[in-house]
Amino acid sequence: MNLVFAAAIGVIFGAGVHLLLQADLLRVVTGLALVANAASLTLMSSGLTRGREPILPLTGDAEPASDPVVQALTLTAIVIGFATTALLLALIVVLYRRRHSVDLDDLSREEAEAAARDEAEEPALDAWRELGLEVDEPEVAR
Amino acid sequence: MTSILTRYVARALLAPVLIVSVGILVKGYADVGDGFAAGVVAALALLLQYVAFGTDAVEHALPIRWAPGIAIAGLAIAVLVFAVPMAFGEPPLEHAPPAGEEPVHLGSLELITAVVFDVGVFLLVIGAVGTIIGSLVDPDREAP
Amino acid sequence: MILVAGPLLVLWVAGLALAALDGRRRGVGVLAIAAVAVAFGLQAVLLGRVLADGPQELVAGGWAADVGIRLRVDALGAVFAALSSGIVVAALLQAVATGVRSRSLPALVVFLTLGLSGLFATGDVFSFYVFFELAMIAAYALTAASGTAREVGAAFLFAIVNLVGSFLFLIGIALLYRATGTLEMVAVAEAAGRLEATTAILIAISFFVAFGTKLGLFPFHFWLPTLYATASPPVAAIFAGALANIGAYGLLRFGGAILPNELALSATALIVIGSVSIAYGAIQAIGRRDTREVLAYSSIGHVGYILVALGLGGPVGLAAAVAFSVANALNKALLFLSSELRGRLTAAIFLVGVLSVAGVPPTAGFFGKAALFDAGVRAESWWTVALLFVGGALSFVYVFQIYQHDRWRPREQRERATPLGSAGVGQRLAAGLVALVVLVLGLWPQPLLAAGRDAAEAIVVARGDG
Repeated sequence: MNLVFAAAIGVIFGAGVHLLLQADLLRVVTGLALVANAASLTLMSSGLTRGREPILPLTGDAEPASDPVVQALTLTAIVIGFATTALLLALIVVLYRRRHSVDLDDLSREEAEAAARDEAEEPALDAWRELGLEVDEPEVAR
Repeated sequence: MTSILTRYVARALLAPVLIVSVGILVKGYADVGDGFAAGVVAALALLLQYVAFGTDAVEHALPIRWAPGIAIAGLAIAVLVFAVPMAFGEPPLEHAPPAGEEPVHLGSLELITAVVFDVGVFLLVIGAVGTIIGSLVDPDREAP
Repeated sequence: MILVAGPLLVLWVAGLALAALDGRRRGVGVLAIAAVAVAFGLQAVLLGRVLADGPQELVAGGWAADVGIRLRVDALGAVFAALSSGIVVAALLQAVATGVRSRSLPALVVFLTLGLSGLFATGDVFSFYVFFELAMIAAYALTAASGTAREVGAAFLFAIVNLVGSFLFLIGIALLYRATGTLEMVAVAEAAGRLEATTAILIAISFFVAFGTKLGLFPFHFWLPTLYATASPPVAAIFAGALANIGAYGLLRFGGAILPNELALSATALIVIGSVSIAYGAIQAIGRRDTREVLAYSSIGHVGYILVALGLGGPVGLAAAVAFSVANALNKALLFLSSELRGRLTAAIFLVGVLSVAGVPPTAGFFGKAALFDAGVRAESWWTVALLFVGGALSFVYVFQIYQHDRWRPREQRERATPLGSAGVGQRLAAGLVALVVLVLGLWPQPLLAAGRDAAEAIVVARGDG
């Protein structure tokens, strides 16, 4: 059983990391959700074999019960994973509304172009200023 | 537009899924399930409606704009269940009847005040998920 | 007991109320400031109580200790809780004085403070994770709350990198629970001493990656510069001054108190990574011209010192790590808060921050660095002492570079670089209060050093070999 869990966690985590390294942001979020699920599964599996229950057994017979703590932990982890996924999707929606793309390559190309424009303008203006000449200030969008 | 099969399945599934989610909710203390799971199941049914019929149709047919209110109401119920026992000098979240006593049965249903907490969680989850789906489902629409 | 649970209750209630209100209204902002200030006041009193009487405990709902949610504040937690809340008060004051443009900012800041206060106060490994995520989710939302596509992109990168770190941390917690059978920090620390070396190292590495990401240490830093440079000054101050404390506290708590053997084992690696961080941060900072980018890279460099202090180890090293973390958080908050203010008074305030980062007396930064220096000399680690000299000299160069670049330009150019115009009273007051604390701690450093010593002692006691 341990082996099955270990293999499943490994496959899910690996798939998640693979998706995290893609350029499409939706895939990145999916990858993160997979990593979150791998973490949840690790939490579940950490209570697999050791049957020492922290809550009093109400029935009185000494049968080993499975550990309820890990289930509570996993439930919490699922809720947190859900919240973070929703938040990331919201971020993607914001990006999409601004740029109409969710591809990291497109976004960084646009950013690099914007940075190159700033770079091209700045030194020239500074050189003018050092000569004591008046320059029209460019409108820098902040 | 989605295929007719999808739309038919989505329509046929809505009521059974909601009933299953209520079942998970009320049986939570005797069987597998709780408010969170019930809320997620109901939210899945909601999501399927969005996938099958599109944003406008769903918002016309279902009370999506109440979702934030439902979430806040659910949270308020949960907080009340947390706080009310303290007014009677019990520790917070204490339920009635207490552990060990036999609860009132209604058929196979066990009536216990802890279910009220789960109802709060259920409303919170379905409200929050409804809000999230409602705001994420159509990225081309500008934010209100 | 009200001191332990009080801050959390106040922040919970205030956060829920603020979530329903429109944060752009000034009254709502003032309410948020009041809530965080009350929490800060309670935590300051708690700090005094903890330093005098030892750790304060509270188990919720009268449950047995390993079932109920357990709050346990020792000197280490109390120091960081009061520090973080205090910085948030100042930053929020400036944000509200500048005018809040986003509806949810006050509520998010309150929830962030709640997460921080909770994680510094909890005695349970998993509650630590929950509060940690609460603070981080509030932070992700805070970065995304407004701004251009570049800012949202920076927020996205920040969220993704830190979430991967968080989930690695969660996996580390699962392994720790599996190996020790408990989540209660004191018991975990006891059981962790008996672990097999391979298991413990694996857990220690996952924790290190998680907190290294949070701190912005060198190999995990790439989300940091754009984020700090694009966020508004108060938000950047909250990130650098309060949120980054999670990393320092986490390394001290999980490295120093729970896995001390692994910490000692990896001392050399920690010093090397810390040194690379210092060098990388300083060199990048010297090469930048934008004030906030310089500050961002300087943050990367300065957390390297914390790692070096941890690597030196021993009570002196841990005390130095705490003292330096406190001074560093104050410095960074002060510099970010005053980075975009102009005027004679704010120039003086900024100068205090500059002197403190450079480690010039009479400022808190001097004693932070002095504590590190002392730890290096006592450990007879001459390489570290040399590193401190070089790193100090480099930070001297870049902070005066930004001072010169920012403040010594002709008037007409200076005004061009003044997006905020003339600073209002509230904005100056916020930066001035932090500057005052930095100066007071520089003139009267005993509280800082004593807090560091007590916190280090709390770590040593917690791991049971003191």
